[in-house]
Amino acid sequence: MKKEPENKLSRFSLLESFQELGMLTPALILLALFVVTPFIMSIPLSFTNQKLFPSPIPVKIIGLRNFRQILSDREFWQAIKNVFLFTLMILPTQCGFALLAAYFLNKQAIMKKTLRAMFFLPFITPMVIVTVIWATIYKYPTGLLNSFFQTVIPRFQEIDWLGNRHTALTAIVFLSAWQAYGFQMVIYLAGLQNIPEELYEAAAIDGAGGWKRFIYVTWPGLKNTTIFVLTITTIQALKLFTQVNILTHGGPLGSTNTLVHYMYEAGFIGQKIGYSAASSILMFLLVFAVVLAQRLLLKRMED
Amino acid sequence: MTIKKTAQRGPINTDTDREGARRITGHRKNPMMHQLKHQLQPRMRIEYLKTFLLLLLALIIILPLALLFSSSLKDDRYQITAELGSLKAFFVPNPSFNNYIEILGPKAPVPMARFFLNSCIVMAGTVVGTLVVSTMTAYALLRGKFRFKRIIMTGIIALYIIPAEAIMLPLLFLSVKIHLSDTYIIQMLPFMASPIYIFLFHQFFKEIPASIAESAQIEGASFWKIFHLVFVPLNVPALVTVTILQGMESWNQYLWPLLVVRSENVRPMTVAIASFFSTSDIYWDRLFAASVVMMMPILVLYLAFQKYFIASIASSAVKG
Repeated sequence: MKKEPENKLSRFSLLESFQELGMLTPALILLALFVVTPFIMSIPLSFTNQKLFPSPIPVKIIGLRNFRQILSDREFWQAIKNVFLFTLMILPTQCGFALLAAYFLNKQAIMKKTLRAMFFLPFITPMVIVTVIWATIYKYPTGLLNSFFQTVIPRFQEIDWLGNRHTALTAIVFLSAWQAYGFQMVIYLAGLQNIPEELYEAAAIDGAGGWKRFIYVTWPGLKNTTIFVLTITTIQALKLFTQVNILTHGGPLGSTNTLVHYMYEAGFIGQKIGYSAASSILMFLLVFAVVLAQRLLLKRMED
Repeated sequence: MTIKKTAQRGPINTDTDREGARRITGHRKNPMMHQLKHQLQPRMRIEYLKTFLLLLLALIIILPLALLFSSSLKDDRYQITAELGSLKAFFVPNPSFNNYIEILGPKAPVPMARFFLNSCIVMAGTVVGTLVVSTMTAYALLRGKFRFKRIIMTGIIALYIIPAEAIMLPLLFLSVKIHLSDTYIIQMLPFMASPIYIFLFHQFFKEIPASIAESAQIEGASFWKIFHLVFVPLNVPALVTVTILQGMESWNQYLWPLLVVRSENVRPMTVAIASFFSTSDIYWDRLFAASVVMMMPILVLYLAFQKYFIASIASSAVKG
């Protein structure tokens, strides 16, 4: 009599553990196949001269030659420099504008929803379409930007914004910021909601005006949000590719080349998978360093 | 002081525009508040001025999108380029849908309708796959009784640090090796088990009281049954969030299809639109129309479910 329910129970739990494993397996297989394998594969690949498709040149281990070649390649350093410059320019532009927009929208009473929807519209625009639109705005010599400057500044010489190596990266910064600031804005809006209203009231009682309240209440209250926003924007900047690939192909004269574009050119256009795997590893290390820096910064601030 | 407080607090706690305006003006049935109305007037005027300025700024911000829509309705591509630099760019004296017919019709020079369909298939597959895989994983890792649960969860979260871009070229090599390149499936599979969405569902599932699952268990419901009859229906907001985020991500996917897709049969819209730029003489008329076609589904969904879009983006940051 006593045995039966026990048996039932064990059969039941056998079914349970079967279900548990069955539900876990798809994700584990997918992650192993599409994330872990390529990630681990890139390490041995980076020490070879492997080509993307079979080629007459035999595949062999070439040691650290890929890394040595990358690190002595002027184009690689220019790509690093460009990404760094891009990050430096986009952080204040994009995050600054996002904060400003969030600050004014947060306490907006009239037409709040409509305004927020409008401000957020660029973010839902696919990047490919953003490049189409901005290609016409930057168009040389008849684009909107050139004719705007011509009306404002007399005898203004048209600039080929995307074709000039001094302006191309800045042009990319503005179109990227236009597309993406909505994300940071939404995060800032959430951050602003978390600042207790009492703090503003207390500041008002102390006679603090709008600007002082921003400096002493809003800004400190958004400290963690800002660290998060800056980190995520930096990581996104390190991955810059689509805009550059469509509009400038890294040019002119490498002035808009980026890390991902460098990898793409080596591995896909040049078919040098070993070489691009080596640059992938370098990119991963860079992203890892940024995340680590953020963690350390957050920890130090908590202490 | 009280006046100041009401004026400040008013706009913050409001949900609807009208109520906000009413609170600022102090238009209440309270006669004393009514009396105070004139003192609030300057504050209100500032509020209207601010709204006007914000509206102006918002209009400037969405000006590029207006350019996209107006240009797509101009039939002549030389007219488009000629008018790009002037205010004429935003006006269409005689709108025509010829560009759309040209790219979507049966005699289209490029099969844009096919590319659109491809994008839809890839997006739908990726979203459904992601929902199924990540809810199951999150649930198994939360309620399962097997060993190493914690370690597996930590391992999955740790994978989040690997940027997709950093593994794409080795992954391309792998896809060529396993003969999966140039298919729909390879455009969907790599994104289905995304650590961030597994984590997101894990967080949502955690908030469901254990007593609900336990009482279902006593009723005799199996592990799987509790999952799809209790946990999934109770987490519709999380499902919506992941659908929006993953749907947008998939719709915008560019680098991966650029690498892995060769034939027109499976090429998505993004790559097709970008390839317009590879010729020196760009067909702006077709390009604009194609862009509008690609923009339209997201725009319609966004206007219909605006609240969910913004909330999803916010929760992806807060929870992630």
